[in-house]
Amino acid sequence: MPSNTASSSAAAAAAAGSADSSTSRRNSKRPKYSKFTQQELPACKPILTPGWVILTFLVISVIFIPLGVVSLFASQDVVEIVDRYDNDCIPAPARSNKVAYIQGAADKTCNRTIVVPKKMKQPIYVYYELENFYQNHRRYVKSRSDAQLRSVKDENQIDACKPEDDVNGKPIVPCGLIAWSLFNDTYVLSKNNQTLNVSKKGIAWKSDREHKFGKNVFPKNFQMGNITGGGKLIPDVPLSEQEDLIVWMRTAALPTFRKLYGKIETDLQENDTIHVILKNNYNTYSFDGKKKLVLSTTSWLGGKNDFLGIAYLTVGGICFFLALAFTIMYLVKPRRLGDPTYLSWNRVPGGGR
Amino acid sequence: ELFRCLAICHTVLPEGDESPEKIVYQAASPDEAALVTAAKNFGFFFYSCMLSCFSVTESTGKVTSLVRKGAKKITLSIGDGANDVSMIQAAHVGIGISGMEGMQAVMASDFAIAQFRFLTDLLLVHGRWSYLRICKVVMYFFYKNLTFTLTQFWFTFRTGFSGQRFYDDWFQSLYNVFFTALPVIVLGLFEKDVSASLSKRYPELYREGIRNSFFKWRVVAVWATSAVYQSLVCYLFVTTSSFGAINSSGKIFGLWDVSTLVFTCLVIAVNVRILLMSNSITRWHYITVGGSILAWLVFAFVYCGITTSRDRNENVYFVIYVLMSTFYFYFTLLLVPAVSLLGDFIYQGVERWFFPYDYQIVQEIHRHESDATKADHLEIENELTPQEARSYAISQLPRELSKHTGFAFDSPGYESFFASQLGVYAPQKAWDVARRASMRSRPKVPKK
Repeated sequence: MPSNTASSSAAAAAAAGSADSSTSRRNSKRPKYSKFTQQELPACKPILTPGWVILTFLVISVIFIPLGVVSLFASQDVVEIVDRYDNDCIPAPARSNKVAYIQGAADKTCNRTIVVPKKMKQPIYVYYELENFYQNHRRYVKSRSDAQLRSVKDENQIDACKPEDDVNGKPIVPCGLIAWSLFNDTYVLSKNNQTLNVSKKGIAWKSDREHKFGKNVFPKNFQMGNITGGGKLIPDVPLSEQEDLIVWMRTAALPTFRKLYGKIETDLQENDTIHVILKNNYNTYSFDGKKKLVLSTTSWLGGKNDFLGIAYLTVGGICFFLALAFTIMYLVKPRRLGDPTYLSWNRVPGGGR
Repeated sequence: ELFRCLAICHTVLPEGDESPEKIVYQAASPDEAALVTAAKNFGFFFYSCMLSCFSVTESTGKVTSLVRKGAKKITLSIGDGANDVSMIQAAHVGIGISGMEGMQAVMASDFAIAQFRFLTDLLLVHGRWSYLRICKVVMYFFYKNLTFTLTQFWFTFRTGFSGQRFYDDWFQSLYNVFFTALPVIVLGLFEKDVSASLSKRYPELYREGIRNSFFKWRVVAVWATSAVYQSLVCYLFVTTSSFGAINSSGKIFGLWDVSTLVFTCLVIAVNVRILLMSNSITRWHYITVGGSILAWLVFAFVYCGITTSRDRNENVYFVIYVLMSTFYFYFTLLLVPAVSLLGDFIYQGVERWFFPYDYQIVQEIHRHESDATKADHLEIENELTPQEARSYAISQLPRELSKHTGFAFDSPGYESFFASQLGVYAPQKAWDVARRASMRSRPKVPKK
C-alpha cells in the first residue's frame, strides 16, 4: 500500500536523520502543540434552540416593558405648550408680501396669548422652535472660526468664514454665517400684568461657555455689512457671556429644531393666561420657515419625549407577542432536536440546500 | 477510500481527445480500467467537482487540463515527486507531499502536507472551515460598512442634500481600523461549525461548499436587508427622540451630540453582531468585542477631552461627556442596539428551526458531547514499532557508502573493470575522481 510505504520510509528517513539520538525515538517534525495554534481553545458553542429563543424574547419584554412605562410616565408628566406665531404676527395688510414686511422698518411687536393647560412647576423653559431651517447644511456648518471664538490672538483666522469674514478689511468677530444668522426674536412674558422673569443665565452647555467661547473675546464689526442676517451683539459683553449666541452656534442636527431661550422660575397654574409681547424680527419668510414659541417643563429624562417610552413599550410588546407566536409555532410544527432525518442527504437523494 | 483506490492506479494510461467524456482508459488490468472509468462517471455525479488521478507519466498534466477545461470542474491533484509537478500545476488546487522524493512537488504546489493521509483533514476539516470563515468574514465586512454608510445616507435627506458629514472625521476614519476590526479577525481565525472529528465523520457536510450555500445571492440579500434595517433603526430612533430637551435642565443637543450617539449605538450593535454569527465563541471573541467597544469609549473620552490649536472647525469637544451626563443616553444605548439585533435574532431563530443547514443538524445531534481534543489528532507515535526500530538499527551498522551516481553504466571502475578483462590498462579520469569525491554519499537504504 503506497501510504504505508510512504509513512514507513518517511519514518526511516526521519530516523536516519536523527543520527545522534541513541534512543529509538522518532525525530518527528510535528510542531509544538498549543491550544491557540491548534485552534482548540475552549469555546462556547451556542445552539439557538427554541427554548433559548423564547427565553430571550421573554427576558427582553420583561426588561423593556417596565422601562417603557417609566419613560412614558416621565414624558407624560411634562407639560408642553407650542404656539406658532410667524403667520399671525404679520399684520393683515402685509400678508401678501411677508418678506418685504419683515425686511422693512415697521414696528414688529406682536401680542400673543397662551393658556396654560395644566399646572406647570418651575423651572419652566422657554424655547423657540424653527422649521425648515437647515442649520446642518454643509456650508453653513463649516462657516465659523472656533479659534477666533476662543481667544483674541486668533482674531484673524477667518478663512472658513466667507462671505461673512471681514468688513473693510477688518475681521468680524465672531465671523461666519452661523453667528451672522443669530436668531433675534425676543419674548417678554407676563401673567396677570406681572412680568415673568425669564432668566437667560445658564442656558448654554457649560463646556461651551467655559472652553469654546473666550472670556476676553468681544464682538467686533458684527452685522456691519449690507445685509443683516440676524441679531446684533452687545459689544462690551464677552462672548462667554453671550449665551444666546452660544446656544445658537451649537448647530442643530435636523432642519426642525428647538433652542433654549430662557428659564422661568415661578410656577404656572392651570388656566393661567400668559401674555407674550414678542418682537417678530427674524426673517423666516424667505424660505418658508416656521417659528414657534414653546414653553415646557422637564423631567429627569428631558422634555416631552414620548418616542422613547413608546419605543420601549412597542419592542417589549412585540417580543412578548413573538415569544407566544414562537411557542405556538414550535408546538404546531415541532422538530426533534438533532433529528438525523433532516440532514439533506437523508431527506432528498443527492439534494439539499 | 475512493481516493486511496484511485491513488493506487498508477498503471493506468488515459488516452483520448479533448472531450473528457471520450477519455478511454488503458490499464494494466481490466479491473483498474473499470474502476477509473467508473470513478470518472461516479466522480462527476457524486463529488461532482473533484477527480484526482495518479499517474506516473507526464500525461497526468494533460488529463488534469482536460478535466479542468473540458468538464469545467474544480480539479485537485496530489503528488510527491518531480514527475507530478506538471499535474500539480495544471490543476486548480495542487497538493504536494514533502518526503522521500524531494521538495519539487512541494515547491510547485499550493498546499504541502507531510503524509498522504493528511489529505482527508486538509479537505474535510480545514478546507471546509476555510470556506465557512471566508464567507462569514466577507459578508460581515460588507454588512458593517453598509450599515455605517447608510446611516450617513439617511442623514443626507435632511441636510438639503448639501453633503454635510454626519460623523466627525476621525470617528469615521477609525471605524474600520480600531472599532470594528479585531472581532472579525478573531472570527476568521477561530470559527468552527462542527469539530474536526465530526467533520470527518460526516463528509457529506463538504457538499455545502460545493453547493456554495454560504455565499449565494440569497445570503447576500439577507445581510444587505439586515444592514438597511439596522442603519434605519440606529439613525431614526436617535434623531427622532433627541428633538426636545434631553435632560432636566432643558438643554438641547447639537449635530455632533446626535451623531456621536448614533455612532456609539452603531459600534455596539455591529460588534455584538459577531457574537450572534459565531458558532463557537472563544474568550478571544469576548475580549475583542468588549475591547473594541471599550476602545471606542476610551478614544471618545480622549478625543473629546482635548482641544488643540490645530482643531478644525466643528470639533466635537466635550460631546461624549455631555452625552454621558444625561439619562437619555443610557436609555437609548440599551434600546437601539437591542432593536437592531432583534431582526437578525428572529431571522436566525426561524431559519435554524424551519430551514436548517446540515451542519446545524450535526451540531444538534452531537450537542451533548464534549470536545475530544487529543483524540482528533492524527496519530504519529513517538515510539518506533519493532520493525522500524530494527531497520533503524540495521541502518546504523557500519557499511559501505555507495558512490553510485544513479545512472546506468556509471559505476566507478566500470571502465577499468572491462578494460582489465581485455588486458588494457585504463586509468581513472581525473574529473571522474573529483566528481565522485565531491558527491554527497548516499547511504544504502536497507530493504524492509
